[in-house]
Amino acid sequence: MADGQSSAFRFEGRWRDYAPIAFTNLLLTLLTLGTYRFWASTRTRRYLWSHTQFIDEPLEWTGTPVELLVGFALAAFLFGLPFLFLQFGMQALALRGHAGIAGLLGFAAFLFIAYLAGVARFRALRYRLSRTFWHGIRGGTDANGFAYGLSWFWKSAAGTMTAYLLMPWSMVSLWNQRWRQMSFGSQHFRSEARATPIYPLFLLFYLAPVIFVIAVVVAGFAVAGAFFHFDLKQSSGAIAAIVILAVIVAVAGLYIVLGLFALVFYAAFLREAIGHLSLGDIDFQFDATTGDWLKLILGDMGLVLVTLGIGAIFLQYRHWKFFITHLEATGEVSLSSLGQSATRAPTQGEGLFDAFDIGAI
Amino acid sequence: MDSAWHYDGKSATRHTVRVVPMADGFQLEGEGGGSGPHGWSDVVALDGTRGRSVYGLRRVQGWRLIFDGPPPPAFAAHLPLPGRYGRWIDRFGLVRAAIAFTVISALVVALVLSAPAWIAPLVPQSVENRLGDAMVGDFGGRFCQTPAGRLALNRLAAKLGGGDAGVRSVEVANLPMVNAVALPGGRVMLFQGLLAQAKSADEVAGVLGHEIGHVRHRDTMAALIRQLGLSVVLGGMDGNISGLVGSALSLGYSRKAESAADDYAIGVLASSAIEPDATAHFFDKLSGGKAGETLERASNWISSHPVSADRKAAFLKSHRPGAAYRPALSDADWRALRGMCAADKRVAPPPSFGW
Repeated sequence: MADGQSSAFRFEGRWRDYAPIAFTNLLLTLLTLGTYRFWASTRTRRYLWSHTQFIDEPLEWTGTPVELLVGFALAAFLFGLPFLFLQFGMQALALRGHAGIAGLLGFAAFLFIAYLAGVARFRALRYRLSRTFWHGIRGGTDANGFAYGLSWFWKSAAGTMTAYLLMPWSMVSLWNQRWRQMSFGSQHFRSEARATPIYPLFLLFYLAPVIFVIAVVVAGFAVAGAFFHFDLKQSSGAIAAIVILAVIVAVAGLYIVLGLFALVFYAAFLREAIGHLSLGDIDFQFDATTGDWLKLILGDMGLVLVTLGIGAIFLQYRHWKFFITHLEATGEVSLSSLGQSATRAPTQGEGLFDAFDIGAI
Repeated sequence: MDSAWHYDGKSATRHTVRVVPMADGFQLEGEGGGSGPHGWSDVVALDGTRGRSVYGLRRVQGWRLIFDGPPPPAFAAHLPLPGRYGRWIDRFGLVRAAIAFTVISALVVALVLSAPAWIAPLVPQSVENRLGDAMVGDFGGRFCQTPAGRLALNRLAAKLGGGDAGVRSVEVANLPMVNAVALPGGRVMLFQGLLAQAKSADEVAGVLGHEIGHVRHRDTMAALIRQLGLSVVLGGMDGNISGLVGSALSLGYSRKAESAADDYAIGVLASSAIEPDATAHFFDKLSGGKAGETLERASNWISSHPVSADRKAAFLKSHRPGAAYRPALSDADWRALRGMCAADKRVAPPPSFGW
């Protein structure tokens, strides 16, 4: 089944069709003090998946709300124990004068939570793949994510402790590691993303504050020079006002510039990562540019602001649509050789991790 | 029965099939792949399928029978309807379910908010004592201790009915806060800042009486349960919301508990002939004068303490003209108590960072 001019992935949902789901989800979630959110999440995914066409058939979401509920309870328990200790036990120990032991145990609890975060990331992807069907075939992995959690832990630590200079390497290497263990049906994913192509953009983001400060200082001297040349007896109040204004503009500018460079890097990272992902004879591509991301984020902000927050119920829809619209696949699918997945399907959902829901990856 | 297709869940191949009804089930027939016979009761209707009708088979993952549109009538009669909102809501209807959820949620909220007050008395005193001891310990060596000061403190606590109320220890902690607390297990702590700021022993007596009141009513356990319960319940919500709601609800004791503790203090001051006016003036420090009171009244709906001015008035009202009031402590005892932390050379100094 060759891919024609248009992408093999098409999103065919319409927000008007999704609106009844979104609004009833909001209503029932509020009325049940949040309990319905597992059902809400499942209904939303059923809609999004079933309106995502891949070649000749839509995807199918087969996850159930109860799985999400169990996953949440499990995660709340696992994260909750060390968290409760951080909250109460440390306080009590410190009060009793065992500040050293309290600090040590607190650090251990923190490490445990950090490790769990990596495991949760892996298991979220595993759960989603195992509940995604296409042509009656599902994805999955036999790994349980505990080993990945260790890798995630030390690679993130290495990325952070080298003054963030190894961050791109850490992100790319973890991405590859995660996806290489995943499969769909009888076929394994291959992931060959590299860090080198995205390093220049990362360094741009990394050095942006330095460049920005130099630019501001140069501009400041130029303006100040012009002023003093123009009129030395200028009232000091006006000068102070101008200086304060300049500082405000500079600080706000720094945040915007930093955010933009971060976005440039992140967009490049996802293009590199998904662009080197393949399954069987299919190669994936992701073509969202920085401008596309910027439009998505500004659109999100506008939607939420204009609707006084209620528009937030459409964010998941928007993000999924964005993801699918920019996702491409080329190559051939041999249906008869794509057999069912032999992986063990997890019995519980992704737990706390679905709080960071932005697309399927 | 046409335009039906089928996936067998073993490979991705698409099979065009005919559905052949049988006595208590059906069979799929088609070139290259049939399936069945299957019983009606094994069929599941899947929802969220964009106008198509998709059926799965219990216990066979990936098995699908798909009609482009509604299923043929002969087939549909035997099949379950696909779910929509969830099984229970589908059964009762959205509106009725919504009303039921509202009622249940209101009950749950009421239960959670009132639970600490009725669970606390069920906790055995011995458990509470051990809990309090574990929490406080020796407070990092910050308890001030001199023989004369200890004696004065014990006298004051005894005068205020500490023993009968279940107070197991009263200590002065070497911290500069103008405050006092009651902790689980009948442990009351006065902070050195309170003693340093107090004009007289009478003022300290009123504050100590209030804390002893909390111990007597076992409010500390309720407060602890509330804090614990909130952190568990709100743990599942979004971080910001839980922080906000948590701080609003766990400010400490309920307003009712605060008033009851004040009532206890007023009663015990009267019965031990200590003038209540000094305690009344203590509330001036809390509210910070007139402007402070306005602010306090404005935020009163969220705060757990009754407004300081109202509490002050209650203490002032309890003053009986012509009553023979005596100082709460002799001058010597008051000096010993107040100077206990300065005199104790072994006590740990207050931490240099803020709490």
